[in-house]
Amino acid sequence: MVNDRVVGELEHFLAERADHLMRTAVLLTGSHEAGQDLLQAALERLIRHWGTLRGDPEGYLRRTLYNLAADGFRRQGRLQRKLALLRAGAQAPADPTAEVDLRDALVRILLQLPPRQRAVLVLKYWEQLSEAEIAALLGCSEGTVKSATSRGLGRLRELADRWHQPEVERQRA
Amino acid sequence: MNTDVEELLAEGMQRFTAEVQAPAGLARTASRLHRRRLAVRAAIACGTAAVTAAAVTAVAAVGVGGSARTGARGSQAHQVAYVVNRVENALAGANLVFEGRTTTAAGPSITWAYGSRHRWEEFTGRGCGHASPNGWCTHRGGSERYLAEGTALIGGKLTAAYVTYFDRKYSLSHRRVPPPANACSATGALEMGGPPAPIDHWSDFINQSLACGAASVTGHVWIGGAETTKITGSPITVRLSPDYAKVVHEKWARARWTLYVNPRTYLPVRMLGSTQTFGGPGGDTLFKSVTDVRWLPPTKANIRKALVTIPPGFHQVSSPAARPGLASQ
Repeated sequence: MVNDRVVGELEHFLAERADHLMRTAVLLTGSHEAGQDLLQAALERLIRHWGTLRGDPEGYLRRTLYNLAADGFRRQGRLQRKLALLRAGAQAPADPTAEVDLRDALVRILLQLPPRQRAVLVLKYWEQLSEAEIAALLGCSEGTVKSATSRGLGRLRELADRWHQPEVERQRA
Repeated sequence: MNTDVEELLAEGMQRFTAEVQAPAGLARTASRLHRRRLAVRAAIACGTAAVTAAAVTAVAAVGVGGSARTGARGSQAHQVAYVVNRVENALAGANLVFEGRTTTAAGPSITWAYGSRHRWEEFTGRGCGHASPNGWCTHRGGSERYLAEGTALIGGKLTAAYVTYFDRKYSLSHRRVPPPANACSATGALEMGGPPAPIDHWSDFINQSLACGAASVTGHVWIGGAETTKITGSPITVRLSPDYAKVVHEKWARARWTLYVNPRTYLPVRMLGSTQTFGGPGGDTLFKSVTDVRWLPPTKANIRKALVTIPPGFHQVSSPAARPGLASQ
């Protein structure tokens, strides 16, 4: 059963790590709101197992985050699903300060990749994990990680190559 | 070039998330959402459908002499059929508006139902207080209405409606709300995340719930100054669907209910429900709910209670059911 003690312990843990986890969730989902939903879903799972967790809760939480994201974030709660969809229906205001440069474009392409490829690239270039660590965390083989990385980077390189074309050609394209 | 792309990607990620901060109250919100999900499921599993069926069976026992013990199977079936008819007639003939006020650890909710009209409203609860526009608890202020789901009268037609008050949005769907599943089937009893009492037509509801099986009269209890008959249903244990089991990391769920009925009107006045999930590494999880039921005369004002109204100034968004979204990414 969830009680105030569990919530208190969890709050203490989150006081240290919540921002980083939130950033990870935003990268995995592509928006602040969807990131909140993803992190919330992972936290719900963590709450269920808080009393029986052995070792680092962050490890469990990160694993859950990535697996939810890699599975396409198929959350089961109808209520939450509806809320998320309602939120997704609203247009996010454009960020007037966002400068469209290659870095931004790469992240945008990243967010269009299939969930598993995206999760692999975030693990590799955000969390700085090795392929073996990624494979262990996602519960797949190193080969799968390598191929997902390769395909994801391939898409990004295509973009980068186009970006480096002369301005006129890029506009023509 | 490859290294450049990888470095730029890493920089882009840093830049993309530079301003991101986790909202306050994450743990409490997660806890609350977790309990709410269980509450909704518990209400479905142990709610009106199962309870009504229990009333039907239990009143049969009471009506034949006040004992839960019944005679031969044929006689019992006859009694049940008789009482089913009585209850159906009582509900249909009396033409009443159902009002159920549910209290759970996650916060209160209210259900109204009349014919094919129904409205379910959920409140934030005192622990959450005022909800911010992104749906998060602020822990300030008292409990407030959070969302409503049910039917609305749009252009003279009953239309499924879903309103979220915290962000002032609503959606409509012309797809008919399916009738409630048999509350005792594996899928019906543990259907995830539905409203606590998705009542469409009472007679269908009762008929579909008859398969719930045996219930027994376990005593008499005074509620609100009136004597009621306490009926306890047999626990229903089902194996969770693979999808749901994956979410909760448990394999089984056991639903129980207790019902208090008015022995003169055949109508329930209170329901208790509990759902326990178990069979996983995380230990059992138990959730309880209490619903107080009133039967209101079908005045215009009471019938209106069974309709969702769209507050002026709310922004319409696409129907959640019709949109691809996060759930299908």
